[in-house]
Amino acid sequence: MQILEFLLLIFLVLSAVMAVRFDEELISIIFLSIFSLILTALYMLYKAADVALAEAVIGAGLNTAIFMSAISQIRHGDSD
Amino acid sequence: MHKNFKKIAAVVVFILMGIAFYENFQLMPAYKGLGEGVSNYIIHNGLYDTGSLNLITAVLYDYRAFDSLGESTVIFGAVSGIVLILSRKMLPVSSRGLSFIVKRTLGIITPFIALFSIYVITHGHISPGGGFQGGVILASISIIFIVIYGSAFDYTMLSPDKKTFLETSGALTFLFIGFLGIALDGVFLNNLNIFNGKIGSLFSGGSIPIINIAIGLKVGAGLAIIFYSMIQKTLERSWVNHD
Repeated sequence: MQILEFLLLIFLVLSAVMAVRFDEELISIIFLSIFSLILTALYMLYKAADVALAEAVIGAGLNTAIFMSAISQIRHGDSD
Repeated sequence: MHKNFKKIAAVVVFILMGIAFYENFQLMPAYKGLGEGVSNYIIHNGLYDTGSLNLITAVLYDYRAFDSLGESTVIFGAVSGIVLILSRKMLPVSSRGLSFIVKRTLGIITPFIALFSIYVITHGHISPGGGFQGGVILASISIIFIVIYGSAFDYTMLSPDKKTFLETSGALTFLFIGFLGIALDGVFLNNLNIFNGKIGSLFSGGSIPIINIAIGLKVGAGLAIIFYSMIQKTLERSWVNHD
């Protein structure tokens, strides 16, 4: 179980760094979604089921959809 | 003379406020550690005080229900601001949606998502979850409708006016439960003895299930309105071009 926790923590940091480092917004958003998914698994591992459900629903689901709609507006240079 | 008077008045008010704060903090009990403090009380007595198996829901909607009322007011403010800025017209400007395969697949999956959200909301006092999480899952159904089928489909299923009605009715139900607590027991948001079944059954937990449903309606409808008003200008050009 400790190995699983260690691996998840490493991938958590890795996905966070990837989300910051990439220039393409779409890839950043997908890595942010992966970050939320790994965080959900970690919360489940720490037996915090309520927080895990909230993180999965809001972080991986709603945030991704709202960020996608935001960058689709940025891409076309729609400024008004 | 006039300026000096203002400064003296401000200093006097500050000193009075300081005395008031000092007197209030004198009244607070000292920190007793985790073994004897409020958390230990909730762990030992929460189940019998509230009748809710999920202690997190017991804290959120019974002991600290006033805090949840403030959070839902924050969501109401966010929805009002975003709708005021983003949606110039609440008209069904829409795309044709994605391809046939995606539409059929999501048409099969969406009822189960709705069932899961209703399960999470109504079983908030028994299993993990609650009004907030289930409400966001409800809002994801509206997001699926907008992205996959086009926002005109979402408009015909449940127009923004009806969503606004649902959101307001959720908030008013929460407030009504609070004032009912004043009328019956003398305390705002007191846990009323509405559902008094066996602990662990669906109809238990006093007024917690009703507050859960109210918060779920409010959060779901509010987030659906946010996404609808964000998407209705942009979807026309960007996501359909791949088709």
